[in-house]
Amino acid sequence: MKLLKPTWVNHNGKPIFSVDIHPDGTKFATGGQGQDSGKVVIWNMAPVLKEEDEKNENIPKMLCQMDNHLACVNCVRWSNNGVYLASGGDDKLIMVWKRAAYIGPSTVFGSSSKLANVEQWRCVSILRNHSGDVMDVAWSPHDAWLASCSVDNTVVIWNAVKFPEILATLKGHSGLVKGLTWDPVGKYIASQADDRSLKVWRTMDWQLETSITKPFDECGGTTHVLRLSWSPDGHYLVSAHAMNNSGPTAQIIERDGWKTNMDFVGHRKAVTVVKFNPKIFKKKQKNGSSTKSSCPYCCCAVGSKDRSLSVWLTCLKRPLVVIHELFDKSIMDISWTLNGLGILVCSMDGSVAFLDFSQDELGDPLSEEEKSNIHQSTYGKSLAIMTEAQLSTTIIENPEMLKYQQRQQQQQMEQKNSAIRDVTGAATAAPKVASMVNGESLEDIRKNLLKKQVETRTADGRRRITPLCIAQLDTGDFSTAFFNSIPISGSLAGSMMSSQSSQQLVSLESNATNSLNTSKPSIEPTAASIKPTDDAANKDGVNATSASAAPPASSSVLTTPSKIEPMKAFDSRFTERSKATSGTAVVTNANQTAIDRLKDQNLIKENKPKDILESSSDSEEKIPIAKPLSIPKRKLELEGETVEKKKKGRPRKDSRLVPVTLTVQSPAALASEKDAICISAPALALKLPTPIPQKSFTLQVSSDPSMYIEVENEMTTVGGSKLSRLKCNREGKEWETVLTSRILTAAGSCDIVSVACEKRTLSVFSACGRRLLPPIMLHSPISTLHCTGPYIMALTTAATLSVWDVHKQLAVVKDESLQILLSGSDATVSQILLTQHGIPVMSMSDGKAYCFNPSLSTWNLVSDKQDLLAQCADFRNSLPSQEAMLCSGPLAVIQGRTSNSGRQAARLFSMPHLVQQETTLAYLENQIAAALTLQSSHEYRHWLLIYARYLVNEGFEYRLRELCKDLLGPVHYSAGSQWESTVVGLRKRELLKELLPVIGQNLRFQRLFTEYQEQLDILRDK
Amino acid sequence: MAKVQVNNVVVLDNPSPFYNPFQFEITFECIEDLSEDLEWKIIYVGSAESEEYDQVLDSVLVGPVPAGRHMFVFQADAPNPGLIPDADAVGVTVVLITCTYRGQEFIRVGYYVNNEYTETELRENPPVKPDFSKLQRNILASNPRVTRFHINWEDNSEKLEDAESSNQNLQSLLSTDALPSASKGWSTSENSLNVMLESHMDCM
Repeated sequence: MKLLKPTWVNHNGKPIFSVDIHPDGTKFATGGQGQDSGKVVIWNMAPVLKEEDEKNENIPKMLCQMDNHLACVNCVRWSNNGVYLASGGDDKLIMVWKRAAYIGPSTVFGSSSKLANVEQWRCVSILRNHSGDVMDVAWSPHDAWLASCSVDNTVVIWNAVKFPEILATLKGHSGLVKGLTWDPVGKYIASQADDRSLKVWRTMDWQLETSITKPFDECGGTTHVLRLSWSPDGHYLVSAHAMNNSGPTAQIIERDGWKTNMDFVGHRKAVTVVKFNPKIFKKKQKNGSSTKSSCPYCCCAVGSKDRSLSVWLTCLKRPLVVIHELFDKSIMDISWTLNGLGILVCSMDGSVAFLDFSQDELGDPLSEEEKSNIHQSTYGKSLAIMTEAQLSTTIIENPEMLKYQQRQQQQQMEQKNSAIRDVTGAATAAPKVASMVNGESLEDIRKNLLKKQVETRTADGRRRITPLCIAQLDTGDFSTAFFNSIPISGSLAGSMMSSQSSQQLVSLESNATNSLNTSKPSIEPTAASIKPTDDAANKDGVNATSASAAPPASSSVLTTPSKIEPMKAFDSRFTERSKATSGTAVVTNANQTAIDRLKDQNLIKENKPKDILESSSDSEEKIPIAKPLSIPKRKLELEGETVEKKKKGRPRKDSRLVPVTLTVQSPAALASEKDAICISAPALALKLPTPIPQKSFTLQVSSDPSMYIEVENEMTTVGGSKLSRLKCNREGKEWETVLTSRILTAAGSCDIVSVACEKRTLSVFSACGRRLLPPIMLHSPISTLHCTGPYIMALTTAATLSVWDVHKQLAVVKDESLQILLSGSDATVSQILLTQHGIPVMSMSDGKAYCFNPSLSTWNLVSDKQDLLAQCADFRNSLPSQEAMLCSGPLAVIQGRTSNSGRQAARLFSMPHLVQQETTLAYLENQIAAALTLQSSHEYRHWLLIYARYLVNEGFEYRLRELCKDLLGPVHYSAGSQWESTVVGLRKRELLKELLPVIGQNLRFQRLFTEYQEQLDILRDK
Repeated sequence: MAKVQVNNVVVLDNPSPFYNPFQFEITFECIEDLSEDLEWKIIYVGSAESEEYDQVLDSVLVGPVPAGRHMFVFQADAPNPGLIPDADAVGVTVVLITCTYRGQEFIRVGYYVNNEYTETELRENPPVKPDFSKLQRNILASNPRVTRFHINWEDNSEKLEDAESSNQNLQSLLSTDALPSASKGWSTSENSLNVMLESHMDCM
C-alpha cells in the first residue's frame, strides 16, 4: 500500500467536506468551504497517480472550480455515467453540473490566481426544496434518481431524467439526516440521521421498509456527517456512527432480515464515513496450490472522527490496514476509484490523502459480468446496462469491433463539433475553436460591435443596449431527456397534435399522396357548429383552428353528441365524419365548410340545446322520417315498429342503445320478430346510417396539388330525369361529368375520384375525369366512402366493408363484415382509415383499433388505448434522440401518438424491474407486429430499431440473436428456403446493417456483432 | 447563485487621450432568461480622497437577456474635467463598472487609471492648471479588480441579508484592506499602489 498526501489539493486551508472520484478515474471533485461561499473543485487525477505528471507543469492539476454555492458544500457526487456532478450545501440547494462542451479554457474573470479553468462545468439544474442544509446526495445505480438529505429531517428523491421533478419526499426521521446510500440493485435506499436511527426505504413505493435504532441507542453527541454505505453485492449495509458497549462502531446490517449482529470495532471516536469498494473480490489463486474456490468478499473503508482510517475485508476478522493520525481533524468523506485499488480521503483539516493498494493486498476483483451474475442469482435481476466506465474495462476482442468503436467515437466527436457549429452557432473566447456567429468570425463582430449593436432609448430617455448573443447554453442533453419523458396530456397533447398535423401536412403535400388522416378522427361537431368557419377562402386558417380545437380524446367526443342530439342532425354528422376520415388533414377543413353550408341550408338544428334528447323516444321516432329515401319503405315501417316494440318489451336501457350507438342501429326485427333473439344477437343485422342526399356539396381532396370535388345534384333535367354533376378541380384544371342518380357521397385521392350514388352504384374516375370502371353495384346502400391512392374503401349500411385496388383491378377486401368488431360491445366505430397499402383500419370508441389483414382475412387488434402494456412499457433509453417524436404513419395516427413512454414514469419506477422489462418487451413486440400488419414500413423500421436498442440495453441476447438471424436469412441460397428477403418493402439485410451499430454499442454483444458483420460482408462480397 | 457571470471585460481604445470616450467590451453569461434588464454604470473616481468627486459617466440598460453568453460595448463620454480637483488630474485613480439587477449591485469591476502627460516637458513641469487635452489616459486593463455581491435574483421576495448595498464606499477600492466582503481580486494587499502601477506600466 502506498500513501500520498497531495498538498496541492486544498481549498486554501478551508475544510474539505466531500470528495468523489469520477467514474472514468481521470478526475475527482472536492466540495467544501470557499473564501466566502461554498466551493466545488474538479481536479485532475493523473498528478495524484503519477509523480511525473505531478511534476510536469503542462499537466493541469485543477480543472475547474465553481464557487456558485452560497455556503459550504457538504457533498459532491458524480452520476454513475459520469456526465453529471451533483453538489449539495448549506445554502439548501443541490446543483447539478454538466461539462460545457463549447467553451474552451478560460479564467474566472478577475480571479487573482489567474489559473485557467481547463474544463468548463456549468450548472444545469438547481434543485430547491430543502428547508435546511443539504448534507448528502446520492445517485441511484441507474442514474434515474438523485436522492438528497438535509437537516430539515427529510430525504428527497429527484427525478434525474427530468429535473427538478420530485418523485418522493421521505419523511420519518426526527433528526438531521446526514447520510444516504442506495442499494446496488436499486430496491432500497438507506438514510442515517441524528435521531439515532437508520431507516431503509423501498424504492417501489418510497415507503419505510425498516427503521433500525438499537445500535444507535447509546449514540451521543453529533458528528458532522453520517455517510453510510451498502456493499456492492447488496448483502450488507454498514452504518456510520453506532455504539456497542459504549465503544464507537460501524454497524453491519444484513439485508436478510435487517439483522444487526456484527460491527466494525476499533475506532476511538465516532465513525463519520463508511465507503465500500465498488468491486467484489476473490482470493488470489496461489500458483500451484489449488485453493478451494473461496467466497467472494467485499472491501470497506471506514473513516472516523479520531482522524484515522481503517480498511476491512469482509473475509477477515481484523482490519486489513489502520492508518492513525492521517489528518489533523475528522475524516469527512472517502471515495474509491472504480478499479477498486485506490481511495481518496478528505478531512475537515482541508487536506486529502490518497491510498494506493495492490491486487495482492485486496484480491482479484470480479468482472462486472461476474458481479452482475451475483446480483442475478441473488436478486433475480441485475444492472445489465453497462456504464461507459465499465465498458472501458471490457476487452475488445477483434479489430472489426475496435474499428467500429473508434469510428463511433470519431463520429461522436464530429457530431459534437458540428453541434458546436450548428446548434450553438456560437463563438467562444477560446482562440482555437472556430468562433463563428452567423458566418461571421467573432473577431469581425468585435470590430464592429459598437456600430452594430442595437441601442434604443427607453420611454424615460435612458439608453438601452440589446446585447449580442454569442452562444446559447448547451444544455441540449438535458432538454432531450426532458422532452422524451414529458407526460403528454391535456392541452399539451392538443398542441402537439396540431403541430404534428401540420407537420404531416407538409409531408403529405410534398409527397402528393393521400396518406392517412392525422390524429383527428373527426372535427367535433359541436365545436364545428359553434365556431363559425369562414369559406374555403382561408382554408389554412380554418385547418389550424380546427386542428387545435379538436380535443385529443376523440372517442368521448363522438359518443356524447350522439346522446344529445336529435337523429336528424346525427345523420349529417356521420356524413361529416365519414368525410373527415377520408383523406388528408386538409379534407377535414373542407368538410367543415361543407358542413357549414349544410347547416345554412337545413341543419341549423345542430345547435339545439342538449336537453332536446332527454326524452329519447321522441327522437327515435324521428329516425324513419329523417331516413333518406333510398331506404325501402318496407324497412321504414319495420323500423318504426321495432322501435315501438322495443319500447314496450325491453328494458329502458336497451331502447336507449339505439340513439347512443353512433353508427350502429340494430333494427333487430329485420332478422326476427322475437325479442329473445334480439337480445342474444343484437348485432346480427347491423345497420349503418347512410348520408342523406344534399343539393350540393364540396370536398377538398388535397391542398397540394390543390384538388377539390364539387357535387351538384339534380342540376338539370333532361327528358324528365334529373342529372347530377360531378366537378373536379385540380390545380386550376377542371373536369366535370354527369351522373343520372343523385350523388350521396364522394371521395378522392390524387389518383382517383369515386362517388357513390343513390342507386347503390359506385362510380370511379381517374384523376382527369375518365371513367375507369362501369358503375359497381353495391349490395346495400353506401355508408362511408374513402379513397387513398388507388384504393377505394366502401362501407355499406349493412356494415360490410370492401376495398378495391382500381389500378390492379383487384378486390383487396371483399364484403367483410364488421360484426365481429361491433357485436357484443357498446363500442362504436369512431374512425375509419384506409392506409396507403389499402389496409382498412377501424378505430372504436372504446379506444381499440383493428385493421383488416387481407392475406389472413382477419381483423387484428393493432391498438388499445387502455392497454396496460402501453402504459407500463418504458423504453425511453432506447428512443433515438431526434426521431423520437417524428415517426409518423398509420400506427401513430391510430394510437394517437400519445407517446406513452414516460407517461407513467412515476409508476413504472415502482414496478419490479423484471416485470417492467417483460411489459416493455411485450409492448414493443406488439408495436412491431402492428406496424407489420399495417404494412407501414417506416414505422416497422422505427419500432424494430427501438426494440433492438432495448434488447441491447437490457442485455437480451437470445432474442437479439433470433432477430438478427431472421433478418440475415440463409447465407447460402437453397431452394427450400422460405425466407423472404424483404419485409414490408424493406430489405431485411439492410435493416440488419442498421441494427449492427446499435448492437455494437454494448460490448457484451461484440461476438454477436462480429458474427453478423462478417456474414454480411461475405454476402456483400458474393 | 448568481444568474449572471461576467466572463470578460476588454478595454478598448486604450491608452487614449483624456477626452476620448471610455469603451468597454463586456462579455457575460446568463444561466436563465432574465425578466428585467441589467443596468450597467461607468463611474469615474475623480479623487481618491473623497466620494463627492465620483462621476457617473453613463448608465445603460442591457436587455432583453435570454440564457446564454452575450456581449456588448459600453461606451461613455470622458469625465467632466471641471469636476476633477486639480491636484488629482494627473496620477492614478479608478474607473468602476458596476452592474445591478433589480436595483441590486451584484458585480463591480474596478480598473486603475493612470493619467499623465505624454510630452516629457509637461511631465517634468506639470502646469498648475492641468491641461486635460494633453493628458493621456491609461487604463490598467490587465488587472481588473472584481467584487461580487450576493443578491436576490428571484422575482419574489425580500433582499438577501448579506446583499451589499449598492452605494458602497468607492474609496474603499483604493485601500485594499477595506474591501467589501466578496472580494476575489484585490489581493495585492499591502503593495503600494504606485509600486504596482509602475511595474505594470513598465510592462506596457
